[in-house]
Amino acid sequence: MPADSVAGAPQPLSLKWGGLAKPGPPERPVAFWDGRTPPSRRGDMVSQSLSRADDSALIREAQRGNRVAFEELVRQYDRAVLRLALHLTGSEQDAQDIYQEAFLKAYRNVGNFRFECSFYTWMYRIVTNLCLDHLRKRTVRKEDPGVATDSEGNQYDVLDQTPDGRPGADPERDLMRRELGRRIGHALERLTPRERMVFELKHYHGLKLRTIGEVLKTTEETAKNTLFRATQKLRGSLADMR
Amino acid sequence: MNCDWVKQNITLYIYDELPDDARHELEQHTERCTGCEAELKSAREFRGQMTAAFPAAEPTPNLLAASRMRLSEALESAEPSHRWSWVPDVAGWAHQVRLAPALAMVLLMIGFAGGVVASYKLSGSRAATMAETAKNPPPLSQASIAGIKSIIPDPSSRKVEIQYDTVQPEKVEGTIDDPRIQQLLLFAARSNYNAGVRMDSVDLLAQRPEERQVRDALIFALRYDTNPGVRLKALDGLGPYVQNDTSVRNAVLEALLNDSNPGMRSEAIMLLKSVKADAAVRQAFEQLSKQDKNKFIRSESQRVLATIPEID
Repeated sequence: MPADSVAGAPQPLSLKWGGLAKPGPPERPVAFWDGRTPPSRRGDMVSQSLSRADDSALIREAQRGNRVAFEELVRQYDRAVLRLALHLTGSEQDAQDIYQEAFLKAYRNVGNFRFECSFYTWMYRIVTNLCLDHLRKRTVRKEDPGVATDSEGNQYDVLDQTPDGRPGADPERDLMRRELGRRIGHALERLTPRERMVFELKHYHGLKLRTIGEVLKTTEETAKNTLFRATQKLRGSLADMR
Repeated sequence: MNCDWVKQNITLYIYDELPDDARHELEQHTERCTGCEAELKSAREFRGQMTAAFPAAEPTPNLLAASRMRLSEALESAEPSHRWSWVPDVAGWAHQVRLAPALAMVLLMIGFAGGVVASYKLSGSRAATMAETAKNPPPLSQASIAGIKSIIPDPSSRKVEIQYDTVQPEKVEGTIDDPRIQQLLLFAARSNYNAGVRMDSVDLLAQRPEERQVRDALIFALRYDTNPGVRLKALDGLGPYVQNDTSVRNAVLEALLNDSNPGMRSEAIMLLKSVKADAAVRQAFEQLSKQDKNKFIRSESQRVLATIPEID
């Protein structure tokens, strides 16, 4: 029996990433016994329409209370959600809390999802609102935005390019980069929560302004203007600090 | 196309938000106008710096796995969506029902007579007459009842109306190539309340891991099954796919980092040895070699790391 065929065979368990950057180790094509191209290499349109249909089915299953289906949905978004929360909060603990709250909220409310927007937008809306709450609550308590805390409470340098702690080839350049990183962190904290959010979604997560508008329940035009303000402020801050 | 327009739209340009014709015009303009060219360069620099000096790092596999575990636990006790549909949830009901021991022995073969509803009226009086019993269908043995849907007492009389669904035991025989057998095996691996049954089905499914659905079922068992024997069988089945299948590799990595059973974890180390050059795997090993509470895991991780060529 052929392993995956385009027509016919239902694929309710396709695990495609909802986030934009492909995380994790580089994808190697799965070897098929007859040398056919694996599904992920097929024309985008085909696999997109396939996965859209599967997602619909998955969502309806989740709405019926099927936890397994819900967890499959979670899988599509959870890396992206964690990445967003981690970069925004700078803390593994906070990121995990946001992750937890976001998906629990999704689970409790998936019954209210009426398919009027995409599930992608709906999911991002939940996370974004939690992130905005976090930004609003947070006063500037951290001295150093370049430093984060892991789940054990140990501090580590987010900007350390060599994760195992070895010094890089050029310590002076590393130092300058870290210094710049700190300045950027400070500059970001000067933005309003909405400005920070729009910039974060656009710059670090590649969302289109149109999507950002939908996620924030506003217009694309407003999102555009917010992005302008954010980049103006940031460029201004960085220029001043030089 | 004047410089003011260009300066206002440079931000949109560097973020690929300009429509194609506007993008083209902007590019043409900046080629000819040094002021705007400088502005463009500065904007690009800004974007580059924001990324290089304050990157949005990928969460570590450990953080991801821990978050997933924590969510899984919370979902166990969470209230699902309110839209309970009239379609019965088979796995859920199987848990709820107090089945007679005889039925518990029926393994993969539980079919479900969805939509079969029998309703009959129970007399409120204890002493049911023979005549009444003859008219009504005899009560089914308790083992056949899947669940009671509704109990509606009639206020004017002493009658009660009960709607219930029945379980129709069925049996099917076939080889593992038979799609019905496969479907039932996939179902059993995920939903059956009996660990022995799950283990048998995972064992059989492990013979066909080249099918995507089977592999996903094995991954599911590896992640979520509460019984370590079942998880181990799933791990064995998935072993050959660690190299080529990212989803398998990630699942095995999660098992290595988070499984409560030490046998599982050492088996995971064995399987991940072949892909130790993978950055995420290496990172996991590094973390384990330093911080894991289990001495064997620490030393094994160190040993694996020692054989990896340093990649700078």
